[in-house]
Amino acid sequence: MGGHCLWDGTLAPNDFIASADDLAKKWKAEGYLALENMHQLSASEVNALTDDENYSVEEAPFDNATLIQSYNDDMHIYDFHIVYSFSYQVPVLYFRGYRCDGHPLHLCDIEKDLPPYSAKVRNESKWTFMTQEEHPYLCCPWYTLHPCGTNDWMKLLLGGDLRSKNPDMLHYLSAWLSVVGQTVGLRIPLELHYKSI
Amino acid sequence: MAAESPTSDRKVVVHLRATGDAPILKQAKFKIAGNDKFSKVIEFLRRQLRRDTLFVYVNSAFSPNPDELVIDLYNNFGFDGKLVVNYASSMAWG
Repeated sequence: MGGHCLWDGTLAPNDFIASADDLAKKWKAEGYLALENMHQLSASEVNALTDDENYSVEEAPFDNATLIQSYNDDMHIYDFHIVYSFSYQVPVLYFRGYRCDGHPLHLCDIEKDLPPYSAKVRNESKWTFMTQEEHPYLCCPWYTLHPCGTNDWMKLLLGGDLRSKNPDMLHYLSAWLSVVGQTVGLRIPLELHYKSI
Repeated sequence: MAAESPTSDRKVVVHLRATGDAPILKQAKFKIAGNDKFSKVIEFLRRQLRRDTLFVYVNSAFSPNPDELVIDLYNNFGFDGKLVVNYASSMAWG
């Protein structure tokens, strides 16, 4: 990193790994970060559930045995991977969704699963369009959020008005995920943003 | 509603701080009910600034989910009796 110039919102591969380690207490890391088997009920089920409970269904994702039995065909399962982009020097989110029987979800099915504010975010900002691309490690098509613009808002988010030259790289990924998660309906627990001082 | 914890009834002072080239508000501090969602803060900012696209974040650390309760954000990230919320009008993203 150039010592003199202002931070441009990107991160180096080793910063990615350090930040990934920090995040990996919750996520599975193996070159990329993976959060798999997130269960998402169909939109109608979610509405019924969230009427009296504000937590999104993702907060209790691992209770699969009981969930699968009770909601069978309506269950959508999501996998999320965070991959470091060497060309953009920022993290990129890859994700896919499928039904219990293994049938992949199309983008139109996925959009129905997303909370209303997600559509808002995606419509408002140009950078949040979803495309299907080859997963760099698994070499099969996954959906992804395009990384262009990521460094701009990360610069804003972590640089703040101090324009600091030494942003908090360890929390880069959790900060990044707080924005990206909103576009795909991933609710990030607040504890993830605690700074261990 | 009966089982609400007493702390969520309290009001939270929100301090809105402009970053980048975002306009500064005349009234930068306001009170909001703790059990309001963060989306209410975002809507307030949108109305005040008459801008649809805003980038809103807390603590130079993260951008809260609109469904997050203000009191939860305050309890976790507030200090000096207030919750500081940074905002920027979105740049030429993408």
